[in-house]
Formats: sequence, structure tokens, C-alpha cells
Amino acid sequence: MKGFLAVIRKEAIHMRRDKGTLRLALGIPLFQLVMFGSIDTNIKHVPTVVFDQCRCPQSRALLDELVATRTFEIKRVVNTHDELREAIVAGDARVGLEIPPDYGRHRLQGTEATFLALIDGSDNTVASQSLAAINGLALTQSLVELQKQQNRKTLPISPRPQILFNPDTRSANLLIPGLVAILLTFSGTMLTAYAIVRERERGTLEQLLVTPVSAVEMILGKLIPYLILGFCQLILVLFLMTTLFRVPIHGNVLLLAALSLIYLTSLLSLGLMISARSTTQIEATQAAQSILLPSIMLSGYIFPLSSLPLPLRIISHLFPATHFINISRGIIIRGAGFHDLLNEVLALCAISLVLLTMSVMLFRKSRL
Amino acid sequence: MNPAGTQATSTDWGIEVRGVTHDYGAVRALRDVSLTIPRGTIFGLLGPNGSGKSTLIRVLCGLLRPTGGTALVDGIDVTHHASQVRRRIGYVPQRFSLYEDLTVMENLNFFASVYGLSGAHLAERREWVIGLTGIAPYRDRLAAHLSGGWKQRLSLGAALMHEPRVVFLDEPTAGIDPVARRELWNLLFDLSASGVTLLVSTHYMDEAERCGRLGYLYMSKLLVEGEPEDLVALPEITPPGTRRVEVAIEGSAAQVMRRARSLTYVEEATIFGNSVHLLVPDAVTHDDLVRDLTEPGVKVNVRPIAPSLEDVFVRLTGLQAEAAENGSAQTGKTS
Repeated sequence: MKGFLAVIRKEAIHMRRDKGTLRLALGIPLFQLVMFGSIDTNIKHVPTVVFDQCRCPQSRALLDELVATRTFEIKRVVNTHDELREAIVAGDARVGLEIPPDYGRHRLQGTEATFLALIDGSDNTVASQSLAAINGLALTQSLVELQKQQNRKTLPISPRPQILFNPDTRSANLLIPGLVAILLTFSGTMLTAYAIVRERERGTLEQLLVTPVSAVEMILGKLIPYLILGFCQLILVLFLMTTLFRVPIHGNVLLLAALSLIYLTSLLSLGLMISARSTTQIEATQAAQSILLPSIMLSGYIFPLSSLPLPLRIISHLFPATHFINISRGIIIRGAGFHDLLNEVLALCAISLVLLTMSVMLFRKSRL
Repeated sequence: MNPAGTQATSTDWGIEVRGVTHDYGAVRALRDVSLTIPRGTIFGLLGPNGSGKSTLIRVLCGLLRPTGGTALVDGIDVTHHASQVRRRIGYVPQRFSLYEDLTVMENLNFFASVYGLSGAHLAERREWVIGLTGIAPYRDRLAAHLSGGWKQRLSLGAALMHEPRVVFLDEPTAGIDPVARRELWNLLFDLSASGVTLLVSTHYMDEAERCGRLGYLYMSKLLVEGEPEDLVALPEITPPGTRRVEVAIEGSAAQVMRRARSLTYVEEATIFGNSVHLLVPDAVTHDDLVRDLTEPGVKVNVRPIAPSLEDVFVRLTGLQAEAAENGSAQTGKTS
């Protein structure tokens, strides 16, 4: 027990004197939060080129309506079909609209008016949202036309959709709760990934190993100061999230803080495990990165879990980030309570316990 | 709690090594090493780089598990009761291994507290160590900013905080200046006088001469072990029918050395500054030597001498190398 306290005190001194660790722990996540947090995933102002062969009031009305959706922004007007294609191939525009010469005439006569929309399929999100916006606009216009012709006041079916929790579909509200989990994953794991291997490289581990300090004392003694540091980092990130990005926390902040301690424990244990089995800091960095990348890709932050094939979905549950993203989104966005998140909490506890035990066992192998 | 537990024995040995072998994978680093070191003795462990000195120390500190044999430190088996041994030993590794970003005081406090020292007892031990090592002026200096000699004293001080019965020092004087070396040795003498057993590895012959007992490791084997006087008197060092002489030289010692090596009756020639030590048959007289070694521009003066410790190790190494050559010729057939 005294050894454990001695290790904690020593680590606290290291931490205070090592500006690099503090920078890694506090600076980088804040910087990344500000950088990535300002990304807006709602598709707006898609660069568009237009080849208007009609140049009539009807075609101008159509273009005005499209611009009014704010999905499209007309970058250029061209004079041939080839130029239209070229602009998309060159990446100048994502969407090309070609309105045939007879568009105005058909609209006036009430016969089928067509226009061509070329959509760049190389970005799935942009393509699907552009397609939806164009289809939606054409459909609405058609319905208005049909209503006029048939003299109807209402439509046969009128849906009443309601988006829960994020009514104005601000993407920051959806992105940042997940981003918090991802930022912690990186800095949390890297903080302890060096904790033991650094001592091995500097030779101080050998001196420690001849003392009676036990593996448990060492691992816990190193874990706790970093847990406190990681917690400060979390509080800072949450503070920025609610102030700078005005993302409201719908659930209980204390619950979020308590559960993030479990999450941090799992990350720091992962780092310690990596550190215990590495012989150089470079090796530890490589090991950490090779675990961090899949853990982020498969966490549900980038791709929804439902889009993963079954084997990957099973693997994804071994990573702490997957569970904490659910907890973080649950509490911040949906206002979920402890009981709603029980499965995730149990999973995180189990992962932490396994990683912590493994790091103690690996560290024990350093000596007799 | 009695730290001795139930393992304490009445043995008079501070360190007792019986048939210890250690393999790093396919490489045998220690081959059937046996030695005994009485309590309160300074034992000097000598041998070329890579001969197994650090490995032996690391086995005795419980950092390596020997492949075979037993080792007792302060009467306790290091492989089976490593944690009990740890409380009784201090270890000063070859490379400075304290925390450079901690001050002298912080290092001492840390190493004392991992042994469970606290409060008044810790403070008392700390002041004792500071007094012993004289490091008081640098109390609040970061270890990184200490000179080599002070780093070594701090290392020794940190290793002494918990009053170890046995202290291992792995080349403690490598790379520090002569004054600091002498002061460190004075510290070691004080410690041994208070009953602490010390095992010190070194390359320096003058340090070897200060040790109560010596061991010489060569190619993973302990070739000899004993008191310096016993080693010097070993029959194989000066075999019957031969004697050792010192040839004092006025002129080029290297030239005389070359010439001595070319003489068929010279069994061993070692250069010592401005003189050369030779092992020659009794039949060869001083006059023979003066005649054979004198050259234009070189004057020599021959007198008989007793072998030095360096002669002992040079001789043993030569004999061992010869034996190894013959041995490998034989094993070449069998393997």
C-alpha cells in the first residue's frame, strides 16, 4: 500500500515536470475538438453547373427553386453538354443540370417536361442528398401542378414526421458526443502507452524491479494519476462542447462523468498493457496505433454499427470506444439514464477489468 | 513483522552461489558458477566485457531466473523467495537508473517509501544517507543536473535507504573521475565495516586490490575465486621452474615488448607503462635477458617480482584461451 502511494506521488511529479504529457493530455484534445467539432455534415451549397438550353421563365423558375433549397449553389453556366460533363469530371462541380429547349413549352402545355441532372457519385453522402433534393423538388412542383389541375386543397397522404432529440438537425449535436469518445480514446491510450516502456528505456525500471514494489502497486500507481489527468481533460472537453458548440446535455452530467471514469480506466489499462509488453517507445506507439485505428473505425462513430458485417460487429464490441459512444450519445442527446445504458456499462467494466488484469500479468513477467 | 521470516539461516555467508547457470536463449551467459562471500566482505568481480558479470549480479538481485543452480543472498534463496531477498538488497546498476526529472531528495524519498519507510524513520534514514554521501549541497537539484560522481553517490544512497544487508554495484566507478572514485571506495569501506556485504564488479586493478575477496569471470565461467594473496600464489600463475621479472626500460617499451614476444623462452609478456613484465624459465638468467632485449638506443634493467593481480588475470585468460582452442579442436570432431 505504501509502495502504491509512493508510485502515485512519483508519477504526479513526473507529470508536473513533463510538459509534453500535459500538452498531449490537455492541448491536443481541445485543439481537435475545435477543429473537428466545427464540421457540418448537413450537405449545403453543392457546387452546381447549369446548361440551360431553354432560357425561358420556366427554366429560370426551376433553377431559382433549386437554389432556394440551399442544397445547390450555381457555380457556372455552360453552353454545351460536354462542358457540363467536363466540369464534374474535373471536380469543379458535383451536380450538372441540363434543361432541354422544349422545357418551357412542355410546362406551358402541361405535358411531361424533363431535365437532366448529372450527379457525381464519388461521394456517397453528397450524391444521395443531392438526388433526394432534386427528386423532392420535382415531386413537390408536380404535386402543386396536379393540385391546381384537379382543384384539390389537400393531398391524399400527408406525413407528419418528427425528429426526436435534435429537431433542428444541427450536426454538432450529433457529432460532438461521439467525438468526445474518440478524442479520449486517443489521448487516454497514448498517455499510459509510454508509462512503463519509458522507464524500461531509461533503465529506471531495473532499479524499481529490485525493490519490493508489486506489479499491482506499480500498475495502479501509474493508472491513478493519469485517470485524474484524463478526467480533467474530459471535463474541459465537455465544457467546451456545451459552451463553444452549444451542444446541450439532455441527461445527467454526473452520470456521464462517472461512466467516463470507467471508460478512461479501460483506455489507460489498454495503454499500460501495451506499455508492459513493449521494449521501446516506438514499439509502443506502433502497437497503440494498430489498436486505435480499428477501434475508431469500428466504434460506430464513422460507420453505423448496423452497416458492419457480422464478424466485424462482434469485434467492434471488444473495443471500449464502441460502448462509450453509445453511452455518450445516449446521455447527451437522448437523455438516457443508468438503466438504459446498463449493458454498455457492464461491458465497459468487463473490458477494464480484463485489460487491467492483463497489464498486471504482463508487467509481472518483467521479473521473477 | 520480522523481515527475515522463516527463511533466515545461521549461515555466515552474505552471498552463496552454487552451480549457477544462466542461458539467454541459446547463449550461455553463466556456466556453473559457484562462490561464497562472507558477511561484511567487499567482493570484487572481475572479467572482460561480456564475461557474465552483469548477468551474475542480475541473477543475485532476483532480476533473472537462473537456468540451473541455487543462489542464496543473506541466507535466502533468490529464486524461491525473491520478494524477501528484495527487502535485504541494494542494487546500483551500471547505468544511472534513478529518475533524472526528480530532485535528489525526491529520489531518496521515493526509493525509501517503496520499501515502506515513512515519517520520522524515513527522515532519519535520509539524513543518514545524505550525511554518508555528502550530497547535502545538492538536495534540491534535479538528478539530471548532477555530475557522474554525484550521480553514483546518489544511486548508492538510494540503494542504502532501507538498510540492505547486501549491496550489489555493477561497475560503479566506470566513467567517473579518480577523486570521485576514491571517495566512493571510502564509502564502500565504511559500509563493509558496518557488516554490509558488497559485491562490486570492476575493470580496475587498483580497485581489485582493495577487495577482501575476488572472483574472475571469463567467457561465462568463474575461473578463480579467493583472497588476493591466494590468487597471486596460485601455482598456475607462476608454474614451478618459472619466475616473473620486471624489465625496466629506458627507451621504447613497445620495441622491447616486440622483441620479448619474439623470444621463444618468454611464456608471457605484458607491458606496464615504461616496463615489461615477463614470465620466463628459471634457467634464463638476468644476463640472458639483458643481452636478448638490449637494442641500439634501448637500455634495460631486470629484477625479479611477485605476480600482480593483473598478471594473475592475464595468465588465467591466456591458459583458458589455450584450453578453449584445444577443447574446440576436440569438440569439433564430436559435434
